[in-house]
Parts: sequence; structure tokens; C-alpha cells
Amino acid sequence: MVLLSMILIPVIVAPFAWFLERVNRDIPKYLSLAVGIFLSICTAYLIAKYPGNGFAFKEFYTIYPPFDFNLHLAVDGISLLLLGVTAFLAVTVTLSSWHVERPGAYFFLILVFLGPMVGVFSSFNLLWFFIFWEFTLVPMFFHIGIWGAENRIYAAMKFFIYTHLASVFLLLGIIVLYLNAHTFEFEKLVGINLDPGIAKLIWILMFIGFAVKMPVVPFHTWLPDAHVQAPSPISVFLAGLLLKMGAYGLLRWEIFVFPQVSKFFAPLMATLAVLTIFYAGFRALAEDHIKRMVAYSSINHMGFVLLALASLTAAGISAAVYEMLGHALVISLLFMVAGYIHHKTHTWYISELGGLMKRIPLLMTMFVIGVLAAVGLPGTAGFVGEFTVMLAAFDYWGWIMIIVPLASALSAGFFMWMLQRAVFGPLKESLKELKLTELPLIENIPLAMYIAAFIFVGLIPSVVFNLYNPVVNTFAQLFK
Amino acid sequence: MLLALTGAFLPVINRLFRISTLLGAVISTFGYLLALFFVLISDQGRTILNSFFTTDEVSRLIGVLILVASWMLMLVVYWIVQKDKFVNELIGSVMISTAGALLLICANNFVSLTIAMELMTMPTYLMVLFSFDEKSIEAGVKYFFNGALAVGFILFGVSILYGLTGEFTFRALVENLFSDPLVALAGVFILAGFGFKITAFPFHFWGPDVYDGTCPGVAALLTGISKSAAFIGLMRVVFEAIPVMAPHFSFIFALIAAVTMTVGNLLALAQKRVSRILAYSSVAHAGYTLVAFAALSVPVSITGILYHSAAYAFMKTAAFLSFAALLYIWGARTMDDYKGLGKREPILAALFLIFLLSLAGVPPMAGFISKVFVFTAAVDAGMTWLALLGLLNSAFSVAYYIWIAKQMYLEEPTIEKPINDTSRVWVVIPLAVMAFILIVLGIYINPVVDASLHYAAKVGF
Repeated sequence: MVLLSMILIPVIVAPFAWFLERVNRDIPKYLSLAVGIFLSICTAYLIAKYPGNGFAFKEFYTIYPPFDFNLHLAVDGISLLLLGVTAFLAVTVTLSSWHVERPGAYFFLILVFLGPMVGVFSSFNLLWFFIFWEFTLVPMFFHIGIWGAENRIYAAMKFFIYTHLASVFLLLGIIVLYLNAHTFEFEKLVGINLDPGIAKLIWILMFIGFAVKMPVVPFHTWLPDAHVQAPSPISVFLAGLLLKMGAYGLLRWEIFVFPQVSKFFAPLMATLAVLTIFYAGFRALAEDHIKRMVAYSSINHMGFVLLALASLTAAGISAAVYEMLGHALVISLLFMVAGYIHHKTHTWYISELGGLMKRIPLLMTMFVIGVLAAVGLPGTAGFVGEFTVMLAAFDYWGWIMIIVPLASALSAGFFMWMLQRAVFGPLKESLKELKLTELPLIENIPLAMYIAAFIFVGLIPSVVFNLYNPVVNTFAQLFK
Repeated sequence: MLLALTGAFLPVINRLFRISTLLGAVISTFGYLLALFFVLISDQGRTILNSFFTTDEVSRLIGVLILVASWMLMLVVYWIVQKDKFVNELIGSVMISTAGALLLICANNFVSLTIAMELMTMPTYLMVLFSFDEKSIEAGVKYFFNGALAVGFILFGVSILYGLTGEFTFRALVENLFSDPLVALAGVFILAGFGFKITAFPFHFWGPDVYDGTCPGVAALLTGISKSAAFIGLMRVVFEAIPVMAPHFSFIFALIAAVTMTVGNLLALAQKRVSRILAYSSVAHAGYTLVAFAALSVPVSITGILYHSAAYAFMKTAAFLSFAALLYIWGARTMDDYKGLGKREPILAALFLIFLLSLAGVPPMAGFISKVFVFTAAVDAGMTWLALLGLLNSAFSVAYYIWIAKQMYLEEPTIEKPINDTSRVWVVIPLAVMAFILIVLGIYINPVVDASLHYAAKVGF
């Protein structure tokens, strides 16, 4: 019942958030915070009770067995980690949105988003996975479209149509898979023997769906628009959860289900990953818009995730999952600070910024810490993530992966250059008349939580690795 | 039949006793409840009137759904038409037409099929004229000629079949028919006749003009309920009467389906008026259902047809009714008028959004799972290209559905004051019931799939 309640309670509470706004404007945010804490407690309980390996907390709700249309919820180490990220971001995003306009509708949409998100990470029935997956688009569309920046409507429409189009390929892949395997259940699908041609077709169709969400470079164009136009807390959801859905789906429903086909396509994945890393890196280097730069660095990090997945070894998958966590924590912080910089200075452009450290040192210190983590400073999650990804890539692909550290240097390059121009140096003339003040306490708390989290998992990565390594090792047997 | 009687006598009773109009709605509600009761207790596998009509799982299920949809339609329409017009006559016609639809889904014989179809269509000829303006007269004339042409086609096809076999009943036809060019010709004529009813390409031209020209409450009945019933009728013809020709028709269906959905979606994208968008989207949805017809060699095609008809009856009727309500209350006709309606009318707009998302195929509404079945059927029958085309169509169709959502929620309001400030409660409750049923049908798939499996077993899969 725990998992089902984690899905249903946010959705049930959501209408109350909307209607009780009329009673008191503060009720919606407290409801959202309560749900975030509820999710955290549930996840903590699940992690504490998790036996260490395999699927646990199975919940099976029969709906229509002949068609295999049953709600089957369960978690393993990987799902648990992502549920943890979901619960953590639910709390931090609520705190970051403390002073939002029209709180009723805003928190209604956040709650409606959280329930299906838990469903995505805990559904072990492919069709239900798709139902949850697809439904998350609707609240995101309204978040971007209503609370976004100047060009929000274009971004929201593009986001919805683009990702829905990708889901269509995923759905077709699911249909072909069902007609050949006659099941949607993960446990029955693992290790299934299909005709290689059909399996490759299914793999490609599903990969398009996941690759757009991740995003992988030829399919990435929705992301910079969506991220830039979305309000910062929603950018956190986009980067921290929506992109993870793509990577998680790829791992769970393609790599685990079709190990041999994935092996066949591994060079394709690795090539796309390297392309993503470099393309996004260079775009970030050329970018003057600070939030767009963070968005490209987010794509760059997801390239690392894909590269690690493409190695198809236990080490690679472990690294990919860790990098997913690190990305969620680090990029969230950067998006929030980029949003605050715009809020305070009314400009997005790095060339119009300068010397911010002199006026708002606390915020900028947190920004610098976040940037260093994104670059891969030892002691933060960024370092562990990138380092393990590179190890796995070297291990599998050999010397050709010498180019990946170069990409890392590139990412260090664009971030440091940005810091030097925007944060340090003399204060710009145009910023002198502005009243630059530090954030109120409530908005600093989530930022501090991100920093504490990524330093904690960066210093003691075994906490995270121990959670899911047994699962990864079990599945790694499939690639032998 | 009882429904038809209530419907037919309603205007008479009211004229005789000068009953206030509210009581008319109450009386017709009793009619609906009685009809629902009779549909629910009807025995399975019975034939009525010497094999004119049959009752089975399909007729019971779709009968219930059509009745509920029509009942909700009646309740909404009652509140959103000008009271000085002939409300009772309108409601009476709705009920007679619904009775025709109920008979059509039970028809087991070409004679009863044609009669039921006429019973369903005849009142709508009057209803299309209901708003008494130039456009509705044009729509009415167009609709009448197209309807007459459709019946002509069907009768011609039926007469060929009768000439060949001397039989009208489906069961006798199955036994006597053989693969023959003349049978194929008859099949093509019957198909063309149905093509008019379900607005399949190239017989779709009248659809948007009529749905746009008439008052939207009537359009809701025409696109939602009548079309769903016509789908079921076509399903019975294809699977029960002329299965010998079915393999030859598969490709024709596929072709018509591909063109219909593409044309419908492309034209819908180009529209400025919301009623025309909904009308062309209804053409596109006819295409999706025909995809399931194209896959007629596999049993899941029946599930697809049935599910899509069931979901379609609700979501299209409800979408048109929401449009009708917004038109009546706010005078919102074009996309520009829809700007900011989400702020002005939060609950109605939210319901409209649910119906639009269901039409677009976003889970967990019934429109999603019905599309899954339709395209599963296509892939199962080896027509992956058709499924891909359909899914791409469905993805692009999202553009105009979400465009309406964008106008309602993301833009600033342009209209300041409502033109008719009626009570929203009685409009919202029936629509909320329909939204609830849509979501339930989208998750609890058992009744429809069970009925379709029974029917598949009955027609010999």
C-alpha cells in the first residue's frame, strides 16, 4: 500500500490545494510541503526496509489479466534512489516556490505531477509506466505556459508537441513488444527471446522516445527553450525528474530487457553520447544567456549518463545511476541561482553581469560551489559521477575515450569563464543602481539542501552505491 | 422503443397540458431511466421480431453508454438553449434519434438496419434547422441531401445482396454469400453509405459544414452518438453479414483510414473556429476507427472498434457540449474568443480540457486506451505502417487540441461579460459525470474488452 499511497495521495490532495486557496493563500504551499515530507518519509521507510537486492514491496492490483493491464508496483535499488530524488525535489521545489503567484493552481499542478512521477519510477508494468510517463506532460505544460518567462507560450507548445511526438514512437514500440511477447510485465520481459529483427525494431522505436526525454543531441531542441522559459523551480523538476525519466526508461525497459540488442546498438549509443557531450559543451561555451548555458551543461551531463549506460557493464550502469543523482542535485542548484540572478538584475546575459560577488556574496558563494560541483571538484557528487563514468568508458571502449576528459575540460572552461565574467571582477555600472540583496531565508534553505546533499553523497558515495549495486550486478550477468 | 415513445409524446403532452419546460426535462429523464433499465435487463442472444433485432453484450454495453451520453446531452442542452424556442421539440427529437441509435446497434437484418438508421437520422434533419438562421438552413439542406444519398447507397447495396440471395438477415446472408464481384459491388455501396454517416474520406465534406452551421448541442448528438452507433452498425455488417468480402476490404479500409485521419487532422490544424476544429477532429477520429476496421483479420480489431466507439461517443459529445455551453454563456466561437476563458470559467474550461486531452489520446482518459487498442490491432494485422501513420497523426493532432488549451489558460481574457448568465451547476454536473465515466473507462477496461471478446467469439474468431 505504501507505493500506491505515494502515487494517490499527491493526486488526491491536489484539488484541495486548488480550492483552499480561496480560504487562505498559504494553505496550498503547506499542503505541498506536507506531501513532500510524506513522500520523503515513505521513501526513507522503503530504503530502511529494503532487503538489499531484487524487487521489494510488490503491490499487484489486478485490472484485466488477459491483456496484462495490471497495476504492478515494486521497487529495486535504482527505483528507490530515484524515488528519493523525487521526494527530495518535492520538498526543495515547494520551498523555492514559497512566494509564487496564484499558489492554488501552481501547487495543484505540482501535486498532480508528483503522483505520476512516483508511478514512473515504481511501475513494473510497461503500459502503466507509459500512462504515468505521458501524464507528467500535462502539468509541466501548464507550469511552463502560465508561470514562465516572456516567450513561455512558444516554449510550452514546443515542449508538449515535441515530447508527445516522441512518446508516440515509444508507444508503438510498446505495442510491437506486446504483440510479440504477450506481456507488459517487467519480470516476464527480462530475458525474453524475440526475433532479432523485431527486437531491433522495438529497441529503436523505444529509444527514440527515451532519447528525446533525456535528451540526446539530435533530439534535444525542446530542452533549452523549455528550461529557459520555465520558472526556476519548474526547471528543477524538468532537469531533476523529467530527464531522469528518459535515462531510467532506457535503463529499465531497454538495457535490462534487451541486453543483447543493446549490445548491438552500444556503439550507436556511445557515438550519440560523445556527440551530445561535445555539442552541448560547445553550445554552452558560446552561450551568453546564463540559464540557457546551464541548460546546455545539463544536456552535457546527460551525455555522460548515456555514455556510461552504453558501456553495458556493472560499473557503467552504477556510474550512470550515480551521475543521474549528481546531475539532479547540482544542476538544480545552478538553475535556481540562475533564476535568482535574473530576478535580481533583470538580465539573463552574462555580458551584462559582473562583480555580483561584491553585492550578494552568500548567493554567489553557493553558485560557485554549484559550478565547481558541476565541473567535477573532488568531494562533490560531480566528481564521483564523472570519474566513475570515465572509468567505465575507458574500461569498455579503450583509449578512444581519451576524448571524454577533454569534454570535461571543456565544461570546466565554459563554467570558469562564465564565473569570471559574471560573478567576479568589478561591478558593472548598470548594476550599481539596482538594489541587490540576499535572498530571504526560506529561499536559501533549498539551495543549502542541494549543497549539503551533493557534498554528502560526494564524500561518502558508498551510501548511494550500496543501495543499488547488488541490483546492477544481478542484471550485469545478462550482458555476459 | 420506450424512449422513442416518451420522446415522441413529450411535445404533445407539453402542448396539451401547457407544462412548464422544466417538467419536460424531468419526464424525459424518466424515459431515459426506464430505457436504461430495459437495456440492462435485456437477455443476451435473444432475437426480437423474427430476427430483426438481436441483443448481445455489444448492444447492451454500447446501448448503456449511448443512453447515458444522450441523457447527459439532453440535460445540458436543456439549460443552454434559448427558452423561447422549441426546447421540448428539440429534446423530443434527441430522444427519438437516440432510440434510433439504440435500434441501430441491435439491428440484425438489413431491413431493420436501414429503418433504424432512418429513425436515427430523420429527427436530426429537423434538429439541424433548429437555430433558424441562414447558416443552419444551408447546413440542414446539405445534411438532408447527404443523408438521402447515404441511404440510397445502402439500399442499392442491400438490393443487390437481396437479388443474389433473397435474404435480408445477416445470418442467412453469411450462409448464402460467396466471394463474387457483385457481392463486392454491394459491399462497396453499403460501405459508401456508411462512409457518409461516419464522415469518412471522400464523403466527409458535409460534416464540418453541418456541425458548424447547426447549434452545437445538436452537433454533439450528430458527431458523438449517431456516429458511434453507425460504427457499431458497420461493425455488425462487416463481421456478421459480409465476412466473405472482408479480406478484400481490408486494404480499402486501410487506405480510407489513412487518408481520412490525415485529411481530418491537416484541415483541423488550419481552422480558426473551435466548432470547425472539433468537426475536423471528428473526421480524424473516424479515420482512427477505420484503422481498427482495416485490421479486421485479427480479433483485437473488434476491441479497437468497440473501445473507440465507446470512448468516442463520450468524449466527442462532451467536447461539443462544453463548446456549446461556452458559446451560450460567453459567446465564444473562434480561437480568439477562447483567450483566457480558463480564468473566467475555471470548472467548465477544466472539463473541456479533460475532453480535449482525451481526444488527443493523453492517459488516463479513455481516448488513450482506445487508441492503444486500435493501433495494437493494426500492428497485429501486419499493418505497422498504418499504425505508425495513425500514431503520427495522433501526435500532430495534439497541436490543435493543446492550442485550445493554450488559448484558454495561457492567454489573457478578451471577453469581459457573459452574454447569458445562466446557472452553471446544471451544465457542469452532467459534463462532470461524462468526464468521470471517461476516466473510469480509461482505467477500468474490463467491460468493453469483455464485451468485445464475447462478440469476437460469436462472429467466429
